[in-house]
Amino acid sequence: MLELDGLTVTYGDLTAVDDVSFTVAEGEFCCLLGPSGSGKSTVLRAVSGFETPAAGRIRLDGADVTERPPNERDCSMVFQDWALFPYRSVRENVEFGLKMDGVPATERDARTDEMLELVEMAGYGDSRPAQLSGGQKQRVALARSLALDPDLLLLDEPLSNLDRRLRETMQLELKRIHDRVGTTMLYVTHDQDEAFTLGERLGVMNDGRLVQLDAPETVYDDPTDRFVESFLGTTNFVDCRVVDERGPTLGTPFGVDFEAPIDGAGLATGDAVVVSLRPERLSFAPAGRVGANSQAVGDGGEATVSVTTRVEETVYRGSDVRIRLSAGETTLFVEPSVASAPARATMLETRSSSPGRSFRSTVILRYRPIWTSPRRITVPSRLSHPATG
Amino acid sequence: MSLSDARWTRAFAALPARWRTVALLAPLLILDGVVFLVPMGYLFRLSLAERTTGGAFVEGSWSLSGYEYVAETPLVHEIFAFTMGFAVLVTALAVAVAVAYAYAAWRATGWWRTALLAGAVLSLFTTIVVKLFAVVLVFSPRGVLNDLLVGAGVLTEPLLLVDNPVGAVIAQLYIVVPYAVLAVYAVLSTLDDHLVEAARDLGADGPAVFREVVVPHARPGVAVAAVISFTWSVGAYPAPLLVGSGSEQTNAILVSQLLLAEFDWPAAAALAVVTVAVVLAALLAGLWRLDDGGELLG
Repeated sequence: MLELDGLTVTYGDLTAVDDVSFTVAEGEFCCLLGPSGSGKSTVLRAVSGFETPAAGRIRLDGADVTERPPNERDCSMVFQDWALFPYRSVRENVEFGLKMDGVPATERDARTDEMLELVEMAGYGDSRPAQLSGGQKQRVALARSLALDPDLLLLDEPLSNLDRRLRETMQLELKRIHDRVGTTMLYVTHDQDEAFTLGERLGVMNDGRLVQLDAPETVYDDPTDRFVESFLGTTNFVDCRVVDERGPTLGTPFGVDFEAPIDGAGLATGDAVVVSLRPERLSFAPAGRVGANSQAVGDGGEATVSVTTRVEETVYRGSDVRIRLSAGETTLFVEPSVASAPARATMLETRSSSPGRSFRSTVILRYRPIWTSPRRITVPSRLSHPATG
Repeated sequence: MSLSDARWTRAFAALPARWRTVALLAPLLILDGVVFLVPMGYLFRLSLAERTTGGAFVEGSWSLSGYEYVAETPLVHEIFAFTMGFAVLVTALAVAVAVAYAYAAWRATGWWRTALLAGAVLSLFTTIVVKLFAVVLVFSPRGVLNDLLVGAGVLTEPLLLVDNPVGAVIAQLYIVVPYAVLAVYAVLSTLDDHLVEAARDLGADGPAVFREVVVPHARPGVAVAAVISFTWSVGAYPAPLLVGSGSEQTNAILVSQLLLAEFDWPAAAALAVVTVAVVLAALLAGLWRLDDGGELLG
């Protein structure tokens, strides 16, 4: 459907998009995720024809559209600020593209009605954009783009101007509309929740390059590099050292060693390895409730190591609690859900405690091998080899 | 005593909110009254005085003879019609040029934009007489333009572009176009690029974007440009006088003749009052039409 081949966009000396190649399949909902300035919106603008690539080709439905002006490409863009025409009614906005296409008035009317129905804005045909709320403008912008029945719908952070609750409603709405119309969609966002909610596949961009493009689970669980791991969610990066290359066994700064259930080929004793410990995968319990043996390897590759730490800080965040711990010479944070966290009273006690008074607790580093390779090492606790981290 | 004088500040703060607004507006109202309303009132009074051959007007008299003169003299009708036609033509041309020029400046980037805008602003630094002399230099039969066209073989004979009605129109355009450009550009500069992109994205080509997005947005600026061009051109005096053939008489020229040559002040004042009334009526009617969005008249 959409094929990008070595797409490169430069502004003077700055390379905004650097050799990006990927394809989007017919009917797919593909998300591009990245921090601001990572080039994701520029990719979208190049596809829609607003940026001229310095190199590379863009193919839509097999046809090379790289040189075509925006009005001759069968794709439509939903802008971040929606860009509704302020002097036109909702209806006139929606039928604008059809009018430009020379569609006869009766057909135009029918199509416009259908689109307004689709986005649940049927009663608002005569309103002006200024009279609508953000969410309604969003719907109209979507209807306006979909009215043309484009082969490809490009969405440039369309929900980022909405408040959180409305954003979540609109995400589900967008998913429903995608299921119904089946239009191929390329969606750009910096919000990972949005990307995970919407995307069938998810591309992570950084510094103009497409770092990884995979199913959301794969991107989260098996990141290509340390950037992806750090960009998605929050994590603890812990510097470890290979103690024994058989296993391999890694020494942690918490004072415990553990046998990483990964392929140790390419690792030598003394090598530095960065381990990513996802806070949501770490268990946390007050000291004394964990058995004395600090390391246990369970069946099915599940292994646990427990580390005794000191609670330094507790942040209550509604659905979970973020606890910063010091362990050996380094710090870790864990995010137990409120239900599984130690009693609130204990938490408050630690928070209100005067500096210097410490609260001992144990973190169980429960890790599960997810993917093993000499170069990309991930445990749940995930490890990444210095060569790629 | 400065404005920040505490005594005055306190006195001002002690006023009720409504009177504070009035107090802030007072300097403007006084200025308006002194330089505009009082002279207009005097002009109006003068237009109702008796005409006389023995002086400018009969002091203390009341008469409609000035208006009768305006209503009954065929020459005045002719000049009036010419003035209106001239103003409408200049307005139409000025607005067209201004929209095209402002659009070009808006589309341009970097040095081009600076150069185009400077071109519009710099011409305001010169006086009208210098400007009109420039018109003569450029457009006269031996002027720059004709030399270029004849030299390039486009024309065999130079075009007559000054000392005729065409010259009067060109000269008047020289005066009003910069203001019209700035009025349109000021509004155009608030046009969101994304609207243009959205239109392009929805299949509009260049001319369609201009027609469907740029022009509707520029509408208030076009209205202002039209008001400036029209009011100024109805009062056209130096351009038709200096660059026209001499037969392009406008109301302003006639008023000055009545005032200075014929010493007929009531007739001159009556013509001026009628002109002002017609301009105001035309502007209101025009704005009403241009303003279906309701942005200008509220």
